[in-house]
Amino acid sequence: MNSIEEKLWDYIDGNCPPDEHKAIAMLIEQDEVYRKKYNELLQLNNEFAAMELDEPSMAFSYNVMETIRAEKAKQPLKAAVDKRIILGIASFFVLTLSALVIYMFSAVNWSAGNGVQIPEQLNMQIPHVNTFFTGPVVKAFLFFDLVMGLFLLDHYLRRKTAAKE
Amino acid sequence: MQSKLSDIELIEQTLGGNQSAYADLVKRHQRFVFTLALRFAKGREDAEEIAQDCFIKAYRSLSSFQQQSKFSTWLYSIVYTTAMTFLRKRRLDTSSIDDDESYIQIENKPSGYDEYNVENKSRSYYINQAIEQLLPDDATIITMFYKGEQSLEEIAQVMGIEANTVKVKLFRARQRLKERLERNLKHEVNELI
Repeated sequence: MNSIEEKLWDYIDGNCPPDEHKAIAMLIEQDEVYRKKYNELLQLNNEFAAMELDEPSMAFSYNVMETIRAEKAKQPLKAAVDKRIILGIASFFVLTLSALVIYMFSAVNWSAGNGVQIPEQLNMQIPHVNTFFTGPVVKAFLFFDLVMGLFLLDHYLRRKTAAKE
Repeated sequence: MQSKLSDIELIEQTLGGNQSAYADLVKRHQRFVFTLALRFAKGREDAEEIAQDCFIKAYRSLSSFQQQSKFSTWLYSIVYTTAMTFLRKRRLDTSSIDDDESYIQIENKPSGYDEYNVENKSRSYYINQAIEQLLPDDATIITMFYKGEQSLEEIAQVMGIEANTVKVKLFRARQRLKERLERNLKHEVNELI
């Protein structure tokens, strides 16, 4: 597919390398066949470029904006700050989960079945986490987690359905 | 009167809650989006529906526009995907009889055109007529290249193919358009004689 026409279209579009561009320019100047074809394609190119675009109905943009308004289209604007919301929720979960892990480790009896003595210099005082996490607090926290999880799942499924539509 | 702000500035204003900025964006791109939709749908009503759908989809996902490409390229990729889905659905919904009807639709121009005689028809009219007779992909490539201010790479991005493939397709589409144009003009001349 290396016809004269293809070369000339490349030349007209400015898609050929400088060397080839020069060579084709020379051919157009010297070769009658090339010149005739070039003029024909150039005229076609100008006509293609001058074709008119179709116009939609007068109410087109109004209809678009009305549909957006009707769909409570402020959703994408909310989505603009979605990253921060998601980061906030993620950091909340990370913090609370790490707090739970700390609590779990603090509840473990490390000395049981282990005769290793910790040097006195390293014997740091770990705050008693039990004071922060009483039974009802943990339950309330887990309940809150569950609600948040369900809320996010619902939000995700709604967006997925909307995207499909 | 359309806004002189750039697409990106209008997008930022839209994301900031200014809906009229998006209306300006719609007005700026509606003609091209509609024309592109018309390359697939052939009927004006369907094309308007596709174009409207595209602008709504674009609005919904405006915050996900990364600005790594031109807004027009991003918007046209939405148009291309939506129009392809439309074509696929129509192929499933219609039988071969409907295909004949769609051919008739191409031949029957809107009423205004019938009043023209061949002397009054502009060359541009014949080009539009020939483009309508091309396959949607050919017509889309030609329209995007000449009227959408899209480079081969950008068209490739819109259509999800390689830039080299676009180059080959553009070359073939131009050849087919040229043939169609010559055939239509010959037909008109024969009718006159």
